[in-house]
Order: sequence, then structure tokens, then C-alpha cells
Amino acid sequence: MALPEPRRSQAILAAWAASAFALSAVADLRVLGAAALAAAVLFRRGALREARRVALGVLPGALGLSVASWAWLRWLGRPAPPEPFAALVLRAALIAFVSLSVLRRVELVRALAPFPTASRLLALSLAQIHALRLLATESAMGLRSRLPRRPGTRDVLRSSGAVTATLIALSARNARDVADAMRARGFE
Amino acid sequence: MHVPDGFLSPRITLPAWGAAAPLLWWAARRNFGARAAESLPVVGSLTALAFVVQGLMIPVPGGTSAHLTGVALLAVLYNPGVAFVCESLVLALQALVLGAGGLTVLGVNALAMGLLGPGAAWLVYRGLRRLSGPAAAFAGAYAGTQVATLAVAAVLGLQHRLDPAFMPVPFPVVAAAMMAPSLTVLGIVEGLYTVATLAVLRRARLLGAP
Repeated sequence: MALPEPRRSQAILAAWAASAFALSAVADLRVLGAAALAAAVLFRRGALREARRVALGVLPGALGLSVASWAWLRWLGRPAPPEPFAALVLRAALIAFVSLSVLRRVELVRALAPFPTASRLLALSLAQIHALRLLATESAMGLRSRLPRRPGTRDVLRSSGAVTATLIALSARNARDVADAMRARGFE
Repeated sequence: MHVPDGFLSPRITLPAWGAAAPLLWWAARRNFGARAAESLPVVGSLTALAFVVQGLMIPVPGGTSAHLTGVALLAVLYNPGVAFVCESLVLALQALVLGAGGLTVLGVNALAMGLLGPGAAWLVYRGLRRLSGPAAAFAGAYAGTQVATLAVAAVLGLQHRLDPAFMPVPFPVVAAAMMAPSLTVLGIVEGLYTVATLAVLRRARLLGAP
């Protein structure tokens, strides 16, 4: 029998946290391989998309560090076995894959519903991020349209300073408005 | 510059969570107050500000780009406690909403990037601001970036020392891989960005910028 919301999302999040910590303790390549197989079966819907995100976001850093370390140790005359490096890459990729797959199946706002302070903070932050990001995106487009060439480091840095100053002023004003609205609705 | 999940074992991540959580609670209470109508809008807005600033990409010579952290700016404008709360929440949002960064390493990343980095930036800024405001802001942001990066590299080095079979990458490789871009590009970009933002805030007389 499926759990009703928000219990379902909370249970999934709790299981995710426990599995992330458990996987982060594993160094055995065979255990990690079995866990990767289990994760691929459990999260087969959308697995290719998440695997692609992991390949682009996590693998380059983990692989780069592993190859550099292996080469460095070899150069020092202390060649290391490849298994720990493979386990490191697989562990980082597996936890990222599980995280992305779980978060796609969870309603975070619903899961936080029994915790009013956390859910209000989440809603406020996400709404402000949306508002501020619109301004930042429009400013970047404005900078590109004003210049006959691609903006360089100096152009973007100067523009970022001005954009951030505007974002700070806007966020302060938004905070005041939200505080007034909360007080008007009886929040203390 | 943050550590992704899988690089650190619970021997390090659990104590880091244990240290970061009460510090975060204390910093939030001290800087934002206990009343929801006062604290939540300000925390939400500043967290959103830090989140959006981290999305600003600066093109750097060589065809790549660097992203800002903006925490040194928050530390200089407000104080390191505000920067710690906001950066920790940004990291939590990235982990819970975007699946980026990591859940197990959240404590380590919050302490390194949210507390040590901004703390160093604030200390350097306070120490040098009598000589020159912009130079102090640049030096603070540069130092903050280096301290945060070095802290992350040191934690990865500690994991290698504790269990080389778990984390086979030795400290010199981690330090070189992280400190080289931080010393040559990221710190300079963060410093210039902090100076540029403070200059605009001062010129526009916003928020009583230093």
C-alpha cells in the first residue's frame, strides 16, 4: 500500500539520506558495483537522463583527480593499484545518480509541509531566487546587446558589480515587503 | 571548490554535520532574530541573493569561465555569521532542489566555504580597511577564497591520511588541483567582483556600504 503525502516524500527523503551516508562509507568495488546495478534497476525510469547529468557534472572532476593522482604516484615510483581510484569514481557517480533520481521523485514542498518554518523559508527563498534571477538574466542580455563583441572579463566583472548592487537593493526591498505582508497576516 | 558526495567517509562528514548544525543555529538566531516575520524574509532574500550571485559566470582568459561565490561580499557588507547562514542554505538548496554538491558533505562544505572563507575575508578586510577600502576588499575576498579552498583540500588530505584505500588521491595532488586555479584565477575574480560591487554600492549610497 502506497503511503499518502507528505509521508511518502518524507520516507523517500529519509531513505535517500540513509543510503547516501551508507554508500559514502563503502570502498569495496564489488559492493559498489552491486549497489550501482540495484540503483539502475530501481530508478530505471529516467535513468539515462540522470546518467547523462552525472557524466557531465561529476565524472570529469572525479576522473581527472584520479588520473592525475595515479600518474603522480607512478612518477614518484610508488605505483598505486587502480581499484581504489575506480571505487572513488564509482562511489561519487553512484551517490550523484541516486540523489538526482530520488529528488526527481520527491515533492520537497509537500515533504516539508509539517515543518512550517522550513517550508516558509523554502518558499520565500525559491520565490526570491526566481525574481532575482530574472533581473540577472535580463542584465546579462542587456550587456550582450549593448556591446558589438562578446563581453570580456572586464565587461562582465564591471556589469556584475552593478547587477549585484541592484540585486542587493531589490532583495532588501523584497524582504521588507514580505515581512510587512507576514505581519499583516498575523505571523509573529 | 566544494567537495562532492563520495569523496569523504562518514568518519569526517558526520562530525562536520555535528559541528556545523549548532553553529548554524546559533548564527541564525544571533543575526536574524527568533521571530519568523522578522527573520525569514531577510534570510530568504539574502540566501536568494547568494544563490543568484553564484550563477554569475565570469569569462576568463583561455576560453573557460569562473563562477563567483559572493560570500566575501556578504561577510564584508554584513558579517561572517550572515555569510555562514546564507551560504549554508545555498548549499542545502543546491543539494535538495538541484541535486548538486552533496548531502553527506554539506557540513564540511558549509564550514569551509561558509564559515572559514568568509571569516578570513572579514578579518583581512577589517585589518586593512584603514589603509585603503578597495585594496582591503580585494585582499579580503582573495584571502577568503584561498582559505576556503585550502580548507577543502586539507579535509580531502585528512581523508587520504585516515584511509588511503577509500580516498586514494594524496594531498599534494588535491592541493595542486584546487589551489592552482584558486590562486591564479578564482581569487582574483572574486576580489575584483567584490571591489566593483562595493564601489557601485558606495556610489549609489545603498545600504551604507563600507
